[in-house]
This record gives sequence, C-alpha cells and structure tokens, in this order.
Amino acid sequence: MNEIGPIFRALTRNKLGVFLIALQIALTLAIVTNAAFIIRERAADIARPSGLDEENTAIFITTLFDSKVDQRQLFRDDLEALRSLPGVLAATPTQSTPASGGGWGEDIFNDPEKPSNEAINTGKFMVDEHGLETFGLELVAGRNFRADEIQVASLDEMPTSSVLIVSQALADELFPDGNALGQTIWDSPDGEDPMEIIGIYERMQNAWPHSSNVNNSVLVPNLPMFNGTMMYVVRTEPGQLASVMAAAEAYLSENRSRFVDVVRSFEEQKNRTYSRDIAMVKLLTAVITVLTAVTGLGIVGLAWFSVTQRRKQIGTRRALGATRYDIVRYFMLENGLITTFGLVIGLAGTVGLNWFLDTQYEVGRVPLWYLPLGMFALWILGQLAVLLPARRAANIPPAIATRSV
Amino acid sequence: MLSYYLRLAFASIRRTPVLSALMVLALGLGIGAFMTTFTVYYLMSGDPIPHKSHMLYAVQLDNWDPNDPPTESAKDVQPQITYQDGQNLVNADTPAIRQAQMYASNVIVVPESDEPPFDESVRATYHNFFRMFDVPFLYGQPWERREDEDHAAVAVIGRELNDRLFDGANSVGKNIRVDDQFLQIVGVIDDWQPTPRFYHVDAGGQFDDTEQIFLPLSWAIDQPLLPSGNTNCWKPPDEDLSLLEAFLQSECVWNQFWAEIETPEQAAAYKDFLDNYVRDQKALGRFERPLNTFISNVPEWLEVNEVVTDDNRVLVRLSFLFLLVCVLNTVGLLLAKFLGKSGEVALRRAMGASQGAVFSQNLVEVGLIGVLGGLSGTGLAWLGLRAVESLYRGYQHLVHLDPVMLTTAIGLATLSAILAGLYPVWRVSRLAPAGLLKTQ
Repeated sequence: MNEIGPIFRALTRNKLGVFLIALQIALTLAIVTNAAFIIRERAADIARPSGLDEENTAIFITTLFDSKVDQRQLFRDDLEALRSLPGVLAATPTQSTPASGGGWGEDIFNDPEKPSNEAINTGKFMVDEHGLETFGLELVAGRNFRADEIQVASLDEMPTSSVLIVSQALADELFPDGNALGQTIWDSPDGEDPMEIIGIYERMQNAWPHSSNVNNSVLVPNLPMFNGTMMYVVRTEPGQLASVMAAAEAYLSENRSRFVDVVRSFEEQKNRTYSRDIAMVKLLTAVITVLTAVTGLGIVGLAWFSVTQRRKQIGTRRALGATRYDIVRYFMLENGLITTFGLVIGLAGTVGLNWFLDTQYEVGRVPLWYLPLGMFALWILGQLAVLLPARRAANIPPAIATRSV
Repeated sequence: MLSYYLRLAFASIRRTPVLSALMVLALGLGIGAFMTTFTVYYLMSGDPIPHKSHMLYAVQLDNWDPNDPPTESAKDVQPQITYQDGQNLVNADTPAIRQAQMYASNVIVVPESDEPPFDESVRATYHNFFRMFDVPFLYGQPWERREDEDHAAVAVIGRELNDRLFDGANSVGKNIRVDDQFLQIVGVIDDWQPTPRFYHVDAGGQFDDTEQIFLPLSWAIDQPLLPSGNTNCWKPPDEDLSLLEAFLQSECVWNQFWAEIETPEQAAAYKDFLDNYVRDQKALGRFERPLNTFISNVPEWLEVNEVVTDDNRVLVRLSFLFLLVCVLNTVGLLLAKFLGKSGEVALRRAMGASQGAVFSQNLVEVGLIGVLGGLSGTGLAWLGLRAVESLYRGYQHLVHLDPVMLTTAIGLATLSAILAGLYPVWRVSRLAPAGLLKTQ
C-alpha cells in the first residue's frame, strides 16, 4: 500500500485527465442510480397482481351491428358455446376488465347523509354468477350471486342491483371496523336504492392501474347490453389459453351479424395498459447498459493508451525488480483512486439529479441504500475495465528498459 | 490545404484505430440516444396547425362537484363538457366565428362487396368542424348547417376509407353502411393528420390517426352512437329517465368543444359570453361551484393536457446527460491521443509549421471524428426511433427523422466533437518543440 503516495503524485501531474474520468464516473453514477430507481418503481407497479388468473384468461369483444338479432338470446348462445369449449374453466359477460385502462367508476356511500365528496370511488364490473370463478377470485366471506339475481343493464333499463360483492380493500374503506358483510350501501346520496354487500373477495384491481384506489372494485349482477357491444372474459385450464382463444374466435366469427373487435389474452391487455411503463423500463435499461459500456470502454481506452505511453517506465520498474503483480496492482490502485474520487463527486450529483427529477417530474426520492450499491457496482466496473490494460502492462518485458526508444 | 489536413487526419485515425473507433462509437451512441428522445419530444411539442393555432380555442366549463377542492387553473377542470352545455353553446348567438361540439365513437362499416365488415372510428360533430380546422377536401365538401338541423344521414369520409371502399374514386353521392344504417357521402377528406391530434387529446389518443368517418352529431345521438372516449360523471344520472335520456341530460362530461376566434377582443367577448352562460345556468340550479370558465388556444391546450409527458422530459434530460458523458469520454480520449503524438507535432513544428497550422490541422481531425460520430449517431437514432415506435402504441406519427432533425444530429455531433477537441488540440499546438525533440 506504500505505492499510493507515488501513484497520487503521478496523478497530480495529469490533473485534467484525472478530472475528466472522475467527472465521467460521477455522471454515470448519477444517471445509472436514478434510472435504476425509476426502472424498479415501474417494474414494481407492473408486477402488482390484478387479482385475475392472468396467465389463463382471455378477453373477447364483439359488436353486433344488425338490430334484428335477438341480443339476449345471442348472449345465452355465446356463453353456452364458450363454456362448452374444451379447456374452458369458466366464462362471464362483462363490460370491462381490471388493468384495461377503460371502465366504469362508481361513487359509493356507506351513509346516505354524507356529502358527495365523502363518497368512496370504486371500479365496477358487471358479471353473472360465473364472474367470481372466471376472474379467479376467492370469497373470504359471504356468497356468490345466484342466477336469478342477474338483470339486464341497457340504455333503456338500468336496474339497481340490490346485491353486490366487493373487494376486501373496498370493504375495509367502507367499513373500517371489518363488519362489511351484510351491510347496506348506496350509489347516490339521496338514500334511494339500498344495496347489500353479500360477499367479499380478497383482491381485484379496478380498470385504472394508475389510480390511487386501484384495489377498490365491486362486482354487480348485471348482463351489460349497451348497443351492440358484447364482451366476454374466459378463464382456461393451465396451458389451454391459445387453443381456447383460437376456438372461441372461430366460433364468434361464424355469426355474420357481428364484428369481432378484440381477441386478446389478459396479459396482452395488461401490457397495453402498462405500455408507457414498459417502454420506460426498456428505454432506461438500454440507457444504463450502453452508458456503462461507454464508461467502461472509455476507461479501457485511456488505460490502454497510458500503458503504451509508459512502456519504458514499466519496463524499468520490472528491470528494477517489480513483479508482474506489482505492475497490475499499480494500475488497479490508480484506477481505484480515480474512481473513488469520481464516485464521491457522483454522490452529490446523484442526489442533485434525483432532487431535480423529483421536484420537476415527481419521480420519487431514491432510497439511500441505492447509493452504496451504485457506487460499489461502478467501482467494480472500473476495476474490471482496467484489468485488461493492466495485464498488458504486466507483460511488458524488463528488457525494454535497455532499449533507447 | 484542407484536403491535405484531411489526408493527415485519416492517416492519424488509421494509426490509432481502436481509440478512434471508441471515440466515434461513444459520440455516436450519445448523439443517437439524445436524438431519439429529442425527436419524440420535438414532434410531441410541435404545433399541429401552425397558421391557426392561436385562433382556435378549447372550452372548459367547471360544472363539477361543489364539494371538490377549489379550482386554481385550467388543469383542475375537466377537459370535456356535458352534452347539454355543448348543445346550448352551439345553438347560442356568440362572438365566436365558428363553434363545434364533437365526440368520438366507433361503428362497424359493412362493405357492399363480399369483404368482411370492419370497425372504424367516427367523429360526430358539426359542419363547422371542417372550415374551423382547415380540413383539406379531395372530393365534395362539408355538409351544411341545414343537415345538422335535419339530423341528416350524411358523412364525410377519409381518403384511406375511400380508397378501401371505392378504390379512390370520387364517392360523393354514394352510400356507406355503418352498423345497420346508410349514410350518404358528401365529401372525401385528403390526407390530414395533425400531430398531436389536438382537437381530442385525452384518453391516450393524442397521437391517434384522425377519424375516417365524420358525421352530424345530431344524427349520431339519434342512433345512438355511444362515446368511445373518456366519460366522467360526478353525479348519478336521473333514475326516473331511461339511461340514454338521463345520460344526455346529466352532468357527465364526454364532449369536446372548440371555438374559432380571430382577435384578442373577440376572445375576451367570448369569455364574457361563457361566463354569462354559466351565470344563467347557475340560476337554474346547475354549476354550484364558483364561476370558472377557461378558453385555451391550441398551444395552451396541449400544455393543459400535458401532451408532452413527464416520462418524455425525464428521458430527454437523462439522454442529454448521457451525451455529456460521451463527450467527456471523447475529451479524455482525445487528450490522451494528442498528447501521445507530441513527438510528431514537435517534428512538424520544428519543420516550420506554425502553432495555428498545427491547431487547424488537428481540429480537422477532430471534426472528422465528429462527422463520423454524427453519421453513426443518426443511424443509431433511426434504430432508436424504431424501438420507440414498437414500445409505445400510437406513436407512428411521432417517429420519423425529418431533414431538420438529420442536420441537427450531424451538426450536434460535429459541434460536440469540436468542443470536446478544442482543449486537447490547443494543448498540443502549444507544445514547445525543442524539449520533445531532444528526448527522441
């Protein structure tokens, strides 16, 4: 370790060069740490469970454009056909799905006397008695809808459901004491049309994954018949999704009075909804990768060059008894000093950049433990990058000291 | 002289191929990343209708829940208005030159041939839409006021749909079947794609294709064609009416509303008109919040709706820092390289080259590296834009390199390289030749 003195003095003779690499490492630390933080936040968002059996669920939307067709009957035929396809576990009509970006919201009151701003907002899904099974939801309390409770909801008649099933999150928000089952709630502050909570399931997101109350959802026993749009969600046995989707599409396309708008797996639907987050994750990952490569290659290039420049000195040191290991250690130590210097500047840069990004664009605060981790990673990168040139230096024969050039 | 310097530069680059390649690569990657994010940003923040953007105003009325927090700016107010307010405004006598209420919907088009039906996006609006937004016509013309009043079954279709259904022939007077109704075509629009699609920017559709079917809103309501964009409600609809009737009379917002206004005086008068309208409605028991109306011209409207996302700005900032790292990288490498050829420089100086000559000769070399970096950066930016296109839905109008961006890319690269090289070149040209020659 007694070499640090000479190394340091050698570095002070090339202040600008050292400062340039240090600054580059500092900026790299700032960018990589902040980008990694944003990536991790987004990835965590995307990974939240929707509540559905995501890998084995498909969505179908068709539009009936011939008003002479009996739509109610077509619903019955479709559901019977879909449910009888091999590999299908369950199917339900609905008007939206979780994490789809488009759906129905509803304000719910646990007390009809409350002002409208104290309503609790939730996502609403119209399903039949197969809804729970199709969405893969487990009841933690209460019961499922009965077939005779399902009512048609259309532009002409909008029935008020007297029974509904809510998510645990919504139940807890409505009744913090935990006694939600069997309670009466209202969808308007006038106190008309009471609805009873007959069941509670553990978790299902609403249609808007970026909303603050994402886990508030409610199932209502309705058959949604708004104009010609008919939407189905189908849950399959594991591994049967592709074949069920193909068979269902073939069946739905047989009817020439309808147009098949959407045949999509739930995962594809979810990826569409999260496309911006996914894009951000991929783009920032690319930035981190390429940036690390550029910085690493820059260190390799500079060290390589400095080895070439110092061939004669290195040869002289070898001739005077320095081992190969001593030479390698010299370059590693030199790089370690520069990198450490850069990382110290980078620490301030990282915090500063995060402060800027957070105040301007609300990306959030980087947790402190990211800093030592990022510093360690870049320190290792520097050491690895310098390894190759250092080994080349170690191979310089001592005899070179005796030559004139 | 320049060609001689260029020859020297090529020779020098060939002598240190790895170092030179690293510099070109680093510059190229930095430029490529920055140009990718900046192109998207630049096109997102572009003016979609430059000659008129300051004469077109989006209307916002604050009809929301009286218990909600107070309104401070246009961003706090719903970007759409109710159907009933749209109807009242469009039928009023106003200081605006033109007004148009509109909403988006979807229909199934059933071709007369054996081709299968397909879905198409629709804009339900008023005859004013086309002159207000200077929509170019290929055949025919917009429908007239009378047809709005008569709830007429007429349509203006887009060029793409016209090509698909009529092989591009003049289809004015022909019929098109949507769902199970027939519409008579009165006009065909030429290619028209304002980017962003300013007249309806919410619901993630700000970069969507323009609709291929335009039809009278009065007819669309009769069918009814339901809105496909965002619908927001704060108050449950009247339960004594059918859902449709209740929806039309509700406080739900789902209509976009635009006014064309020529002068600032007219704008002030129009704003007064809106304020007075809301006061009249307050007397009827609506608009329980404090009086808030907003009119925003196109650039303001894109700002209010945050068409350029924060994600986008973050990416531009980060990729700029990335470019900075690449430039620093290049400065370091250039410094090393130029100091490494001190011997050669000393020789040239001893042979009579002035400091200025050495300076400009080395600057040419740096410039050459810059141009090479710019070229590879442009290539990488092209790849980057393809990646962006595949990552985001609906960005296809946002990801092309136009000539301005191309020149900017190469210019930026050369400039970065020259800035990066200025100090190393200066250093090397100031070396005293005598001392260096002695050690050789």
